[in-house]
Amino acid sequence: MTRLPPVIMDNGTGYTKLGFAGNNAPSFVFPTVIATRDASKRGIEDLDFFIGNEALSNSKTYGLHYPIRHGQIENWDYMERFWEQSIFKYLRCEPEDHYFLLTEPPLNAPENREQTAEIMFESFNIQGLYIAVQAVLALAASWTTKEKKDYVLTGTVIDSGDGVTHVIPVAEGYVIGSSIKHIPIAGRDITYFVQQLLRDRSENSIPKEDSLKVAEKIKEQFSYVCPDIVKEFQRYDQEGDKYFQKYNGVHSVTGKSYEVDVGFERFLGPEIFFNPEIASSDFLTPIPEVVDNVIQSCPIDTRRGLYKNIVLSGGSTMFKDFGKRLQRDIKRIVDLRVRKSEELSGGSLKATAVDVNVVSHKKQRYAVWYGGSLLGQTSEFYSYCHSKAEYEERGPSICRHNRVFGSLNT
Amino acid sequence: MSFTKHVNLQTNKYDNSLEPTALDATVVDFDGVVYRISTPTSKNVILFSLSWQCFPELVKWGVHGMLKKEYGPYFSAETENGYNFTLEFNLKVLPEAKEDREELVNKVSLIKRNLLAQPFERAFVQQRQFEDEKQPNPTPDLMQIQYREQEAIYIQAQHDRVTVIFSTLFKEETDRIIGRVFLQEFVDARRHPTIQNAPQVLYSNKEPPLEIRHLPELQSLGDNEEVGYVTFGHPVPSSLYKTRCKRGNHIPNPTLSRLPPLSYKMFKSLHAFENASTCTSFSESLE
Repeated sequence: MTRLPPVIMDNGTGYTKLGFAGNNAPSFVFPTVIATRDASKRGIEDLDFFIGNEALSNSKTYGLHYPIRHGQIENWDYMERFWEQSIFKYLRCEPEDHYFLLTEPPLNAPENREQTAEIMFESFNIQGLYIAVQAVLALAASWTTKEKKDYVLTGTVIDSGDGVTHVIPVAEGYVIGSSIKHIPIAGRDITYFVQQLLRDRSENSIPKEDSLKVAEKIKEQFSYVCPDIVKEFQRYDQEGDKYFQKYNGVHSVTGKSYEVDVGFERFLGPEIFFNPEIASSDFLTPIPEVVDNVIQSCPIDTRRGLYKNIVLSGGSTMFKDFGKRLQRDIKRIVDLRVRKSEELSGGSLKATAVDVNVVSHKKQRYAVWYGGSLLGQTSEFYSYCHSKAEYEERGPSICRHNRVFGSLNT
Repeated sequence: MSFTKHVNLQTNKYDNSLEPTALDATVVDFDGVVYRISTPTSKNVILFSLSWQCFPELVKWGVHGMLKKEYGPYFSAETENGYNFTLEFNLKVLPEAKEDREELVNKVSLIKRNLLAQPFERAFVQQRQFEDEKQPNPTPDLMQIQYREQEAIYIQAQHDRVTVIFSTLFKEETDRIIGRVFLQEFVDARRHPTIQNAPQVLYSNKEPPLEIRHLPELQSLGDNEEVGYVTFGHPVPSSLYKTRCKRGNHIPNPTLSRLPPLSYKMFKSLHAFENASTCTSFSESLE
């Protein structure tokens, strides 16, 4: 019998992505949330729960719980039940017929992997398990844009979702943990900023209760990253008609339609990555500088590789020209430093130019899942997995370590 | 159902008059069913293929006829390589009305159930011939459907009932014990005062029931602890035969529909009954 495709599960803090290896997109994307109810008399309360969007729609009669906090599983009981419905109710597959690829945040404790393995093998009886680091999968996802010889697992991952943005350096499949940086600016902050801009401009047509939703829609539909903020303002002033747009909304209660003018917020929203001072007062380092600092704090022999392959992942990196701007700004910083060191050496040293390359690709939004899907469909995948037999022989401790997808390059 | 959502997505996109997109997804369902939904030639033509290891057996019991009847206009003459059959949907010639489209999606989503229902339906037809005095008695076959590698469903029409036997396989000791307790529940269900006229259920461990004892592959199993058999002897009252399934389906929904409600977790541990649920509304009765 042919092997059934491996199951790829990417459980993030906000959203869970579920699907089968080999596909282009996850079959399911829903919030990582579980709705449970206190003990009822019938004695089956542990079966009475919902996950994902169904959980949210039942939030009136059930209590909501978020089993994952900051990327890590906090409540194992809820997580097990979350997986149970993910597999049986959503994916509709028998876990004993499939290999599983799960993801973990960088710096996850090996104990968590053990615990995961225990649930997966003992409760669900799966055939095999591989736990991959999200950042590494994001690197693998960027292979879609490259030729086979460039399939490397060295690079800097910029992962920006809703809550936090991470900058994670990876060298040959291993995360350089000491150099990871987090930026407290991500999708939600952009939405708030756009909302604030609309409010400041007294855009009265937006109903108050919908204002956040409208801001989010405007962010998703119209935003882009501009090369130069001053010039962009000038351009808007001179040829406004070309740049100003209109957003058409429908009032969620009365059903009346309304129009909102969309102007500067088109480029000001994503600009907070590059000029954080326009929105926040406590975090002021622009993203290109953070990336540069991260790479500079890495071992010296990895730095060229890290500059050469800066990979974007997550929904908040999807703004048009985000990659272009980032590449240009980082390049500027790097070139400046190279020139300075040449000057300081008094002209006796000549440096070879550093190659800075930011990779944008089509699968950015679910890059981690997609990377898993790419790796999961290779025939080598099975040899990297921990199989059921190995687990039974050695116990959960085998899953503390997961082999790096190194030999895939050859 | 995982692929229903894929297809739903498509209708939604269509409704919003968005452009159709290229698609290539392989998804699975219980019992090793693999679906492939793809648009290899044009974005407007969606191919839907299915592969299931017991399909050749189902063909023997006339499943092609069912497919032609239910999915006739969409049934593709060419089958994708590696799959059992292919349905072809041209987005340009889909039904216009939203309800019709939803019904189509629904119908496609029930395809696995419909496949498995075919031998059941055949058995019910034969069984009615027994009751009908005008017609000669048929010689019903023992229909075997090897729906998983080591598990099968056996269906046979008899003069007063249709017998359905599920073979079950539990590899682990704990599963076996839970399985035994759980399956015994089926047998004991009739003691419950409200469902005394529920169909008779038998459960045996190791020993195959009389109807299938002669099969050579079962005899070779010998004394295997892991194997069990659940037999549903289902008298088919004509009224039940006429009732239609909740989902607006054309195929009667005859078996197992009056089993005791059981907990999902037990249900889960016994994938055999997940399988049963595909040919019944068993899962619905749990809710």
